[in-house]
Amino acid sequence: MVAVWWLGAAATLLAQSPPVHYLHHGVMPPGAIGSRQLQRGGPLPGFFQPVEIKVPDGALISLAADCRFESPQSGPKKAGLLIGAVYRLRITNIRLAEGQEVFPTIEVIDRLYAPIGQETRFAIPVDITEEDLKLAMSGRFVTRVIYLEDPQRALPARENPPAQTWFEAAPGQDPLAVADGLGRPVAILRLGARLPEPAETLEPSFYFGSPPFVAIASDVTPMPKPVRNLSAPVESPKVQNLSMPPTVAGRVAETGQGGAR
Amino acid sequence: MIRCVSHQETNDANRPDWWRLTVIALCTLILCSCRGPAAGRTSAMPHAAQGLPAEAYTGAPQGMEPCPTERPNVPVAYTPQGPWAPSGLRQPWPQDEYLRDGGDEGGPTGVNRSGEVHGLGMEDTVAHFDTLDGRTLVEPSNQVCLYSPRFGAVRQVVGLVATEEHQRVGGVCSPQKIAAPTTLQIVANAKQNLQPGQETAARPPVALRSKQGRDVLSTTLMPKGFQDSFQSYENLSIIRQGISERTEMPLLARGAKAAIAWSHTQAVQILLDRKSAAAEVRYEQAESVYTVTSPPGCPRLRLVKVASTPFAKPGEEVDFTLRFDNIGNQPIGNVTILDSLNTRLEYVAGSAQCSRQAKFSTAPNEGDSETVRCELSKPLEPGQGGVFRFRCRVR
Repeated sequence: MVAVWWLGAAATLLAQSPPVHYLHHGVMPPGAIGSRQLQRGGPLPGFFQPVEIKVPDGALISLAADCRFESPQSGPKKAGLLIGAVYRLRITNIRLAEGQEVFPTIEVIDRLYAPIGQETRFAIPVDITEEDLKLAMSGRFVTRVIYLEDPQRALPARENPPAQTWFEAAPGQDPLAVADGLGRPVAILRLGARLPEPAETLEPSFYFGSPPFVAIASDVTPMPKPVRNLSAPVESPKVQNLSMPPTVAGRVAETGQGGAR
Repeated sequence: MIRCVSHQETNDANRPDWWRLTVIALCTLILCSCRGPAAGRTSAMPHAAQGLPAEAYTGAPQGMEPCPTERPNVPVAYTPQGPWAPSGLRQPWPQDEYLRDGGDEGGPTGVNRSGEVHGLGMEDTVAHFDTLDGRTLVEPSNQVCLYSPRFGAVRQVVGLVATEEHQRVGGVCSPQKIAAPTTLQIVANAKQNLQPGQETAARPPVALRSKQGRDVLSTTLMPKGFQDSFQSYENLSIIRQGISERTEMPLLARGAKAAIAWSHTQAVQILLDRKSAAAEVRYEQAESVYTVTSPPGCPRLRLVKVASTPFAKPGEEVDFTLRFDNIGNQPIGNVTILDSLNTRLEYVAGSAQCSRQAKFSTAPNEGDSETVRCELSKPLEPGQGGVFRFRCRVR
């Protein structure tokens, strides 16, 4: 009985282990962390997680499909990406660096469970800033681990919509481990540190097999009307002290059309 | 009358009670540790997400129709549900994508005699009131969940050096001068070559003596291809000559045992099943509703909280409405509603309003947000109620 109880307690402890990436590190090759994440189980394989890619003003984005890049589009760009796959991008028309190209990769390692019909509205934002592009063009290797913030440990600061809150990992720190401590990592952006061969001789491995994606139009999902009609009658309908301004539904719109920094 | 007793029955009767209890306990433990399929909660799978292909897998069980969700007396607050959620966990799931506001989680909130509120945690919403018999009671509201994920990023910039190579200095070569001068010593004695005084002639031998053997060739053969001699532990005939002798068996057994002990990797070899144990939680609903009549002198306050939207992005504004009603049978006084906001909810100054005469105030809470306070100026008679409303901006 003691042995059975011990085994049961051990199984319970194993079940309570948090889904963190402490066994992985951010310098692993693209696709390694996502593939390990798929092995953990759950409704991850086959799900196209909406991702919103933001670039600086004027820059153009191209996603790789069938081992070639599609026609460039201005940002932000929304697309449903498979979890565990690696997607190659091409950023062109960079301000003050016209003629140069950067080829970042995006790896989605976890998904969101948005309410029905709100999946594309609450896409994972992937910000490619102008500073990141300049660092990549100067030969640096930039890794950005995008994480979902824990509401219980969130920063009590208002988020400026055009810019995503980000931290710089200290030298010697693993960005994936830092992101694990701040929340739940959901995507990894890598760019720089590799000079691709001429476009005519690019190998299929450069595109990581060109995994399929779903193009999503950057439409605006209407907000539901706020709940105002309560079931119980209000005794004195006359509102005192202050007058309530009109509903917030009219002012809510999809943000992100501006700068991407 | 002859009763036929089978062999099986005889064995069962012979088994003691503790054995049966042990078997029952083991079976119960095994059944409790198995994770069952999602019961009672199937998602609305037929609703396809916008922009996603129809074949996109959302995690919902395939081939199952959504269960009817008719539940009488459901709470007023709308709870957003995702496409899939594991059974046995708190809903909505996952918690890191939702903002919660309301209820009284953690330690219970209380009010001491001096009127100070203690135990009001972040995200709690309670109302306390005074009764006619001098007591101060606390009533929590329901919890409102708001889908509002916020993202951050951790950046690392690494400078790759592809064409440079740093080599460490192999050593330091320092010239050494002679510590002491070497004294050149001259030869003490000299040898002088003298010319011989007389001529010495070499005479050949006159007689020839020959040495003849016995026509037998003796050769000494040395071992080839084996260097050094045998070691001490190799002083065994099976090693030296390849002949196994019984007298050496104990020595060989000891050596073999030592070899096994040296080469075997000993470790705890326990394999746990990769399937984790989980408790299956079943939601049961009462089939019969009984009406309980409150005894005389039972003060009760009902506090219901709703939000204007079930999901909001950072920067958007959300209205929260609290409906309070005196459902007791006696008046209650000093009704005060406290709402400690989540860290990511920022109270919009001046947005509080109430259908009854009240005083509003705010105070910072533990989450660097604010606690909104609404204190009614007049007591609430039985059957009376009102609405308290305020606005928040999602950070």
